[in-house]
Amino acid sequence: MKTTYTLSIFTSNTIGLLNRITIIFTRRRLNIESLTVCETERVGVSRFTIVIRHDSREAVEKLVRQIRKVVDVLAVFGYLDHEIVFNEIALFKIATPLGGTPLNIKEINLDWNAKVVHWGLDYVVIEKNGTEQEISEFYEYIKNWEILEYLKSGRVAVGKTEKGLVEYLPEGNWEVV
Amino acid sequence: MAAQTQTMTAEPKAKETEQFLTGAQAIMQSLVEQGVDTIFGYPGGAIMPTYDALYDYQDRLKHILVRHEQGAGHAAQGYARMTNRAGVAMVTSGPGATNLMTPIADAMLDSTPMVCIVGQVKGNLLGTDAFQECDIIGISMPITKWNYQVVDADEIPEIIAKAFHIAEAGRPGPVLIDITRTAQTDKMTKPFHYPKEVDIISYRPRTVPKQEHVEAAAKLINAAKKPYILAGHGVLLADAQNELKEFIEKTGIPVATTLLGMSAVDADHPLYVGWPGMHGNYGANVLTNECDVLIAIGMRFDDRITGDLSTYAKQAKVIHIEIDPAEINKNVFADAPVVGDAKEALKALIPLVKQNSFPEWRAEFAKYDAIEYEKITKKDIFHDGDQIKMGEAVVMLSEKTKGEAVTVTDVGQHQMISNRYYRFKKPFSSVTSGGAGTMGFALPAAFGAKVGAPDREVVAIIGDGGFQMTLQELGTIAQSGLPVKIIILNNNFLGMVRQWQQLFFDRRYSFVELQNPDFITIAKGFGIAGHTVSDRALLSESLDTLLNSDKPYLLEIICEKEENVFPMVPAGTCVTNVILE
Repeated sequence: MKTTYTLSIFTSNTIGLLNRITIIFTRRRLNIESLTVCETERVGVSRFTIVIRHDSREAVEKLVRQIRKVVDVLAVFGYLDHEIVFNEIALFKIATPLGGTPLNIKEINLDWNAKVVHWGLDYVVIEKNGTEQEISEFYEYIKNWEILEYLKSGRVAVGKTEKGLVEYLPEGNWEVV
Repeated sequence: MAAQTQTMTAEPKAKETEQFLTGAQAIMQSLVEQGVDTIFGYPGGAIMPTYDALYDYQDRLKHILVRHEQGAGHAAQGYARMTNRAGVAMVTSGPGATNLMTPIADAMLDSTPMVCIVGQVKGNLLGTDAFQECDIIGISMPITKWNYQVVDADEIPEIIAKAFHIAEAGRPGPVLIDITRTAQTDKMTKPFHYPKEVDIISYRPRTVPKQEHVEAAAKLINAAKKPYILAGHGVLLADAQNELKEFIEKTGIPVATTLLGMSAVDADHPLYVGWPGMHGNYGANVLTNECDVLIAIGMRFDDRITGDLSTYAKQAKVIHIEIDPAEINKNVFADAPVVGDAKEALKALIPLVKQNSFPEWRAEFAKYDAIEYEKITKKDIFHDGDQIKMGEAVVMLSEKTKGEAVTVTDVGQHQMISNRYYRFKKPFSSVTSGGAGTMGFALPAAFGAKVGAPDREVVAIIGDGGFQMTLQELGTIAQSGLPVKIIILNNNFLGMVRQWQQLFFDRRYSFVELQNPDFITIAKGFGIAGHTVSDRALLSESLDTLLNSDKPYLLEIICEKEENVFPMVPAGTCVTNVILE
């Protein structure tokens, strides 16, 4: 049984680091489900959120130590889903041709907690935030209309700890953005 | 230089800008301030500005012109293994840099500190498939501890200081700095300043272990009935051989060294039990699966040591003293991990462990030694066959050099035999390519070792196959005049592959027999004297000629063709599964 693990990786903001981190996965033939990189509240610190699925916790722990070994990596945390608040964002471009079944905007807003963010001439773009599960359920609903394009982001996640994760970074003079 | 003293002053004035160093000069000045004395290198287009700056630094930096960039890399490795400081290799972009990849991969696996300075095309040509452009940062990423592309001359001092710090700190390794030609030719826009101290916030390896971890380890050691130590390269890298000696003498625990840890313990020390692994000693392997506490110090449980992990030391509590936290539980679960430098860890452990001795347990090793001596050693070193055996040649070398030489070995049968029969009396005496198993390593590495330790006798021991991979470095050795002693143990085969084909591939000898050149004529062509010996009666005086030469010398020893190396634990099997004949 494969379990989903979310890795939060804090790094100094250096060119090429994305490569250095992903080769740790590819070398071990691990598939990255999603990857998101962003800046953080600390100047010069980037945060990678990487989701993988694996059947061995031990292997994931080894992976975490290999990532931590990279010189420019400040800290790595591995989480199970219940330990984090996480979300993704999906965009659906839906055809709205003349004479077609009209979209039920009220239902989309209230029942599905999604919203139309752009009205085109004969299409709309709907944004849906949520977990993979919620997005996939919404997909099942919205596919009753013609989906012209569908895409979603990788997961972003924060731990359910009282302290922010950056508190765990090595001691230093961290400048706050 | 007047220009430099001026640039060292703190506040630049606008008029002085033109007197700031160029990037190339900054590279040279950085190396000088870092205390580098030797560069192994090869010039070419993209590194020419730096070679031009080097022209003015020849009084402070010794540059050795190799014959192939791979030679520069291995020489830097050999130098590092003697000095415990980063060896420096400097090459040009494109093929110059790609030729350095094998030594870099080798240094990564064998934790050898090395700083590689590599030229790159001009900044504006990056990504255009320019002449001799190559994405060396991308290529070297998986095999370097750290790498960085410099595009701005101002960055140079800081990056070079960082490179040396990373290469040498914690678990050492290779670092590559890719410097664009523009960053070499541009002038810095500020005074040169070389940082004395480097602190990388994301890289502060723990050297002093946590006290509670040391205490947990001591508790296991003090309760042990059959403890066993495996000492690895980490002992030498931490310069902890004296602490290790004190530790074993207090605790009375038998100690084996890994291939890379070889010479960390005097081979004649009563507690030394040899080495574990595929061609290691009988007892050192078998008793791994009988000890109750296995104390691994600065080693990484390589598969050539452990064989089948699912049957490896399962009965033992494992104490793993290691500076790289990623090694803990990677291959073998550690009941008591101690993250720290071997020297600091042993210093902390020594007062906590009891004085002890394990006569019965040590007798077990002696029992296996006796079997091994009877079945293998005796046949290797005293035999009356027509041809010289590798073992007898190495034993004779060991005796003649009183175990005090540095042996630099390549990869294959001769490597195993050399480390099996040379009785190392001094630390830092065995240089070999362990993790990567790089044929062609020994000749340039022996040269680098001699440069790093000119007062020691350095003997390269190489097979006839490996010798032909980097023999052009005879030219480097000849040009330097350094008395590197070279022994080719020639069995006219790629011997180790042939041995495997014999044992595991039904004697189907697939492409392992060599038509060799006349090695002595080749050496003479390079200006190096040498001779061949095939008669046992002449072996002793031949070794004397080699050792007494005050110049480089090549001795080719014609060995028995189909000799096998035993003991042998076949790959991936249990360490108790030792083939003795």
